[in-house]
Amino acid sequence: MAMEMRLPVARKPLSESLGRESKKHLVVPGDTITTDTGFMRGHGTYMGEEKLIASVAGSVERVNKLICVKALKTRYNGEVGDIVVGRITEVQQKRWKVETNSRLDSVLLLSSMNLPGGELRRRSAEDELAMRGFLQEGDLISAEVQAVFSDGAVSLHTRSLKYGKLGQGVLVQVSPSLVKRQKTHFHDLPCGASVILGNNGFIWIYPTPEHKEEDAGGFTANLEPVSLADREVISRLRNCIVSLVTQRMMLYDTSILYCYEASLPHQIKDILKPEIMEEIVMETRQRLLEQEG
Amino acid sequence: MKETPLSNCERRFLLRAIEEKKRLDGRQTYDYRNIKISFGTDYGCCIVELGKTRVLGQVSCELVSPKLNRATEGILFFNLELSQMAAPAFEPGRQSDLLVKLNRLLERCLRNSKCIDTESLCVVAGEKVWQIRVDLHLLNHDGNIIDAASIAAIVALSHFRRPDVSVQGDEVTLYTPEERDPVPLSIHHMPICVSFAFFQQGTYLLVDPNEREERVMDGLLVIAMNKHREICTIQSSGGIMLLKDQVLRCSKIAGVKVAEITELIQKALENDQKVRKEGGKFGFAESIANQRITAFKMEKAPIDTSDVEEKAEEIIAEAEPPSEVVSKPVLWTTGTAQIGEGIENFWGDLEDSGKEDEDEGGSDEAIILDSIKMDTGVEVPNIGSQDAPIVLSDSEEEEMIILEPDKNPKKIRTQTISAKQEKAPSKKPVKKRKKKRAAN
Repeated sequence: MAMEMRLPVARKPLSESLGRESKKHLVVPGDTITTDTGFMRGHGTYMGEEKLIASVAGSVERVNKLICVKALKTRYNGEVGDIVVGRITEVQQKRWKVETNSRLDSVLLLSSMNLPGGELRRRSAEDELAMRGFLQEGDLISAEVQAVFSDGAVSLHTRSLKYGKLGQGVLVQVSPSLVKRQKTHFHDLPCGASVILGNNGFIWIYPTPEHKEEDAGGFTANLEPVSLADREVISRLRNCIVSLVTQRMMLYDTSILYCYEASLPHQIKDILKPEIMEEIVMETRQRLLEQEG
Repeated sequence: MKETPLSNCERRFLLRAIEEKKRLDGRQTYDYRNIKISFGTDYGCCIVELGKTRVLGQVSCELVSPKLNRATEGILFFNLELSQMAAPAFEPGRQSDLLVKLNRLLERCLRNSKCIDTESLCVVAGEKVWQIRVDLHLLNHDGNIIDAASIAAIVALSHFRRPDVSVQGDEVTLYTPEERDPVPLSIHHMPICVSFAFFQQGTYLLVDPNEREERVMDGLLVIAMNKHREICTIQSSGGIMLLKDQVLRCSKIAGVKVAEITELIQKALENDQKVRKEGGKFGFAESIANQRITAFKMEKAPIDTSDVEEKAEEIIAEAEPPSEVVSKPVLWTTGTAQIGEGIENFWGDLEDSGKEDEDEGGSDEAIILDSIKMDTGVEVPNIGSQDAPIVLSDSEEEEMIILEPDKNPKKIRTQTISAKQEKAPSKKPVKKRKKKRAAN
């Protein structure tokens, strides 16, 4: 059994390695953002004594006359159209309660759920009794946000064949502010695995299904054993995502892919070591800058 | 905040581990976690740590008029609070069920067992009695709150000193602590709760469940006992059906555990008494170690390494001998070539001779062995594939001096092959060099 021992080392501040030109305006709760009263206040701010004061810790964003503070570490705030990955916590009368790393549990109504076979009909009493057969406590699902209630709770729906119960894979929980908003959040990475980047910070990595099952509607969980090669790809992806999160990089398909490629020379378990993490993320960052510029 | 639900994988893992009689922290089925008792500067204040679960207990007293139907008895009041810092799920209004259950259990354990002599708390019958109030605060929740709370309560009560009172006829004199030493409460016995968690409908049981085990348990049995093997309270919750012999077995186990814990409590109380008498420093500040990195000590976690040696020997026996390295002649310059490397350099041998053997003992050898496996994989193909003058020796510090007849001796520094090697610390090259030669 090979053991490794480390001594504690002082952590290097990230800003050294970044060398960014434009410094972001970072605030903490209670900081004055501006004393100019001409601005409209957005999320994360409040008016106090003729000053605009921040109520969360994050970076200030300004769009024309609107000032808002985008929090760095926050619970998920739902917006209509977001993709989320959640876990069922309760089965209630006509709905499921789903935990999505937000302040209140999200709600998945029985009427918003796809019936197996893709049929469209009114939900009957038998459907209600068979709810537990579809989704039980502890199951993971992917869904889309349909509406946001006034208290902030989110209502989900799985009315498309690409949403539904998730089968075998690995879940990584990160802060929602690190997931970049994109057109699509379902990615089939060329390295051999697929990934769902939930806007709520839950990232699901799973082996790419052989053929798209059109009729399943996302209910039958594929329980065939996953091959070792697939498992290794998934473990490597998971470690890459963890290292990107530790270095506070935005997560999207390109960054994950570049990080995966940069990590190939190392062993999977070595990726989690701080020095190798820095090295890999530095390379990823450079590639991304090259690609943009 | 609602607590994060446990994933199915974790639940299954915990249950499977329990079926194989393994616990996550390495304890045996009947083992308690480390109990640490520390006292504050005031009498009656203590903190009990059961593993990571921490409970703060504070006892206070007041003179009040007694209850009408119990005119000659003092009043006992118990209160357990689940502080918000104990767990994210505890909120000011939320935790009612658990709180009520714990409070009821604590009251039954301490009040109904008559461990405190309430008659001795009476000052003037019908008019003035002592009201003893025990406040318990849960500071950190890592499972088994009730055990920690019961220990904290009884320790705080044993530690507490009430002001002395004397009655002369109609006159009642209450002495301050400066005038007369405060007097301890009269405690008959020490009831302590022991919790048993049941899994798989009563098939497996664990003593002192921690927070993860509590989440996956089916039912809980709490037995409150004192060291004289008298059961003070017994409660079964969770709806599991227990057999008679299971309950009897649990009570026997509880008897043993309570004896141990009572001894620990007595020792802690005696220690504190001694320190106070000798005038030494006491209080919470003394019991918290210096927050320096060299003073930070993790408790020893028992790891079973008995099969490591056999495995290591297996690995060594099964490992194939490294493939034959056919030394190609290395052309340094015209007229100078080298075949092979010569024998080992024994210069640095005197200090390191003891560490040449390959048995897996310390971690040093382990790291080196691991890196050897990586490096031998790299070196051999490299050597075989190139045709140009190749580098055989891979030490940073060796210098090869080639004597040219006309020019000055050129010093050629050899480079290391380190495709996979990380920035090796410079302290280790001596050892590493030797190992590679041995493998070659």
